[in-house]
Amino acid sequence: MTHLPYIVAAYGLTIGVAMVLSINATLRLRQARRRLAAIEQPGRTRQPS
Amino acid sequence: MPPRTDGSTLNVTQSLTARTGNLFHRYANPGRFLRMGARLQPWLTWPALVLSIIGITWGLFFSPADWQQGDSVRIMYVHVPTAWLASSGYMGIAICSVLSLVWRHPLADLAAVEIGPVGAAITAVCLATGSLWGKPMWGTWWVWDARLTSVLVLFFLYLGHIALIRAFDEPQRGYRAAAILGLAGAIDLPIIKFSVQWWNTLHQPDSITVTGAPTMSTSMLWPLGLTTLGFTLGFGAIVLARLRAAVMESRMRTILAANRGRQSAPQHNSTP
Amino acid sequence: MTRKSRRLWLVVACMIGLGSAAALTLSAFSSNIVFFMAPSQVQAKPPPADRTIRLGGMVVAGSVRRETVKDSPVAIFDVTDGQAAVTVRYEGILPDLFREGQSVVAVGTVNRDGTFRASEVLAKHDETYMPKEVAEELRRSGKWDPRFGKAPDAASWNTMTASDAAKKTATQTPDGN
Repeated sequence: MTHLPYIVAAYGLTIGVAMVLSINATLRLRQARRRLAAIEQPGRTRQPS
Repeated sequence: MPPRTDGSTLNVTQSLTARTGNLFHRYANPGRFLRMGARLQPWLTWPALVLSIIGITWGLFFSPADWQQGDSVRIMYVHVPTAWLASSGYMGIAICSVLSLVWRHPLADLAAVEIGPVGAAITAVCLATGSLWGKPMWGTWWVWDARLTSVLVLFFLYLGHIALIRAFDEPQRGYRAAAILGLAGAIDLPIIKFSVQWWNTLHQPDSITVTGAPTMSTSMLWPLGLTTLGFTLGFGAIVLARLRAAVMESRMRTILAANRGRQSAPQHNSTP
Repeated sequence: MTRKSRRLWLVVACMIGLGSAAALTLSAFSSNIVFFMAPSQVQAKPPPADRTIRLGGMVVAGSVRRETVKDSPVAIFDVTDGQAAVTVRYEGILPDLFREGQSVVAVGTVNRDGTFRASEVLAKHDETYMPKEVAEELRRSGKWDPRFGKAPDAASWNTMTASDAAKKTATQTPDGN
């Protein structure tokens, strides 16, 4: 392949940024879901406390 | 004891729904959004992943080299989708801005908050891959021609929007200010689109147009179409995931505020 | 409802105002946004010798001469826009895409004798993307010579390509070379 370093850099950058964005979104969603479940569910069931 | 606390929570939740009636009015039920979003998510994520992988593999290894650009034409398969998403993402912000300014749609505000960083990152990738393509082909990393400059302006518009929407202690004011910026900045989108036609630029005109046949071999059009579709679905999947997280976080804040209110509520009730 | 529609009209009015303001500004400045000058413009109104301009046009077929002066490559070629041609002298390594018939943008100054002294040459490629084999096929069959103008209408080759490439890969090597 000609211009291999440029091609590798372009694809590497694109895939890298896509992965950072996806992983960040996944972790944030997972954390939000867990925390929400933690304060939502016990709040309903453990009413007396 | 339990019935009384139950009654007070009911009061609090009622006043809360009245209060959040301003925040989440009838156009945007967060519960329904979360249910629909959870159902929609896999339909975006998995096709995005599959199409992007097929498109990238096709573009890198199975599409032909260009007659004048050689293999560096393969950068096109990631550059063009990111350029399209850079503009489309800002278009999304502009639409959210109208929904926010006119209908005070709370989900639109949250969506604008979440599209911003993703769009800015994609625009940065578009500029960088363009640079990596321009150096071997044009002979320069960067020129100040109308196309490149207008996309750089778009990047700064994204940065301005990201900063502005988070700049105020009171979120509503940030939403309002950012919506105005989002709408005003939309002027840049037709400028980007038509820059290569209105002015003579170093950047070549579009190969794919609405009116004419594409000036591109079908053997290159296929991987380009796949990566474009895949990246677009991926953009949607990431924004949806972030938006779902944002709605959950906002619901979490509401519940925590309600809990604080519940703790102080009995004292308030007893004083009069 | 009325407040909502009032806000809607306010937004629409602001967008129309902003849009027309931007359109007027851009049309007023459009001559300044031009990235390069054409050879006919340079010949009609030569800029002062100390002013750096960008000259854009097509490299005239058969006009490229390459020399070596003090170990550095020098290229002399004519750039044309179809109406006039300007001779460009450039000392340095030309971009990969540089060839006869290619559009280029040269950055530099106009000498007193009307020739152009370039400090930088950028290659401008067009929006035609074509596999190497197809371009060679078109050249061999005499349908198109890249040194003399743009590629023929894509409709005439972009569908032929698929079957052609398929035939070629089938008859030639299995790994698509």
